[in-house]
Amino acid sequence: MKYLFKELRRHYGRTIASISGYAISTLFILLVLSVTLTNEKSSFGILKGTGTHFIVYIPTNTSCCVNCNNEDSKGSLTAEGVNTIMLTTDLIDSIKKIKGVRDAAPYLLYKLYEPKYNSDISLGGIDMNSIATKNNVCAVTNLIAGKFLSDRPDEIVAEESFAMAHNLSVGDTLKIYGGKLILTGIVNSGIKPGKADIYAPIENVRKILKEDLKCISPGFDMNIILVEVTDSRIHSQVISQLKQRMKYFSVSSYNCYQPASETMTIIEKASRLLAILIFIFLLIFSAKTQLTSLLERSREIGILKSLGWSNTRLSNQIIFLSLIQAFIGVIIGIFLGFLIILLLNSNQIRLFNLVEFNFRIRIIPVLIVLTLTGGLIAGIFPIIKLSRSKAGDMINNFM
Amino acid sequence: MIDNLIECISLSKQYISKNLTVNALEDINLHINKNETILLKGRSGAGKSTLLNLMCGLIKPTSGKVFIDNICINELSDDELSNILSERIGIIFQSFNLLPTYTVFENIEIAIVPKRLKESVVKKNIMSYLEKFNLKDKAHLLSSELSVGQQQKVAVIRTLIKQPSVIFADEPTGSVDDETAGEILDHLMNFRKEKEVTLVIATHGNIPEKFADRVYSISGGRINE
Repeated sequence: MKYLFKELRRHYGRTIASISGYAISTLFILLVLSVTLTNEKSSFGILKGTGTHFIVYIPTNTSCCVNCNNEDSKGSLTAEGVNTIMLTTDLIDSIKKIKGVRDAAPYLLYKLYEPKYNSDISLGGIDMNSIATKNNVCAVTNLIAGKFLSDRPDEIVAEESFAMAHNLSVGDTLKIYGGKLILTGIVNSGIKPGKADIYAPIENVRKILKEDLKCISPGFDMNIILVEVTDSRIHSQVISQLKQRMKYFSVSSYNCYQPASETMTIIEKASRLLAILIFIFLLIFSAKTQLTSLLERSREIGILKSLGWSNTRLSNQIIFLSLIQAFIGVIIGIFLGFLIILLLNSNQIRLFNLVEFNFRIRIIPVLIVLTLTGGLIAGIFPIIKLSRSKAGDMINNFM
Repeated sequence: MIDNLIECISLSKQYISKNLTVNALEDINLHINKNETILLKGRSGAGKSTLLNLMCGLIKPTSGKVFIDNICINELSDDELSNILSERIGIIFQSFNLLPTYTVFENIEIAIVPKRLKESVVKKNIMSYLEKFNLKDKAHLLSSELSVGQQQKVAVIRTLIKQPSVIFADEPTGSVDDETAGEILDHLMNFRKEKEVTLVIATHGNIPEKFADRVYSISGGRINE
């Protein structure tokens, strides 16, 4: 060990050069990874949430009100233009247990012909605290006028298109669904699989169906389950798992998850490839440095071999030297990287006004492992060379 | 073979450089007994250094074998050879082969690193040898700061401190003045007498034959007694 550190000090210039090589490589990897991860995080943030939702229901050719007391109501539980049957709450728990499901929420969508408006009006009963509801139906973020739903039993919000078609404004009272409902807000939820004309909290809709429309269908928990998956890349896996378990379900999804998933896979692969290329660069550089060092030291190593220093001892020295240099290099590289990113960020410098550098603690272990592996592998080449050379040849530089 | 400490059988060495082949040694057969002092005499380029390097396993022969204590050193693994080099063989090189950026003390110390001795024992031994060779005050100087004679002395100490049973000395007095040469030879002979060491010395002629039990002359890569 004494001669190990002495060796580092003895060839000061070479040690500095070698450490600088590791430090520069580390710095380079850190900056590239920093940009890559930031880019990945930003784009993934957008892409992961693209097309992560779908709805589940069981279609039927009869309306629920065939069996209810109010046969003249001309209403039915509906989803995507077809009648559906009622579902019970325990199905939510079953779906939530499927790997990759982030959230599942009940949805009660009822369509009723209203003579006053001379059209079917769909009423969606939503669970307001659910991310699945937000992405499949609507949420407070879609509000464009008025206020969103509260716990009051007579409040509804309407889709902008519906409000415009019937000339409705915030504060209007609608005599529909066997009662008076006050329009508190207008939303524009965009293209969603569970879109309705008006929305109310699911408990209120259940009450309307049971008490005002006198529907006696059992349960009345919901007729649609809204599902949100964790990542658009596993969207199709979740659907196929769900279909395997519950074959009677109809699943409806917009396929926008597919391009998102493909884009994320491309970004992921590109990032990995970049990291591998940088690692190979580091490896070649450090192997070259260590090999050059061995060739420069060949006479000395030959002398040590002639004095009885074993290849094992000398190999250990080479490996440890390489590892020590790599370790010091990686620490300096990380420190420099941190400093540069700090300076860039504190001065709000963005390359091309776009690329943002973010220092990520979690890449430190990766960098250390990568650089030490580089140092280790770099040390192997000189060792192979060393083991193939005789002491006399090394002394006479016949390596 | 049993009575011999060192035995070279049909030893040949060729150096091949590009299209040029040089026969450094041809068909050398040599038997050296324990505690013998052998003088290998010959002009520069005769093959003395090559023979010494072959005998201590520092280079590979093109053909033939070298036995030390009935062990064929050409067939040993690198680590086995290292073990013999650290425990039993001492080599004094013609060009000293000191490490220029190591101090005198360190240049000697590296010879006994493989023995894993206690630091206090190492220090005591080194200082004792340095005192014998009048180099005590030079212990912390870089070897490159020494005179040629002093460097040769350090090279000799580096060999003796290992307490080898065989010493191969390549021109141990070739680069030094007569006084230093005498001093070095005295030390070598005393050591040989005290420790019953086998000594093989290569020289171009500046070492008197009276020091040797047998004298061989090498010329054109061939040996004659």
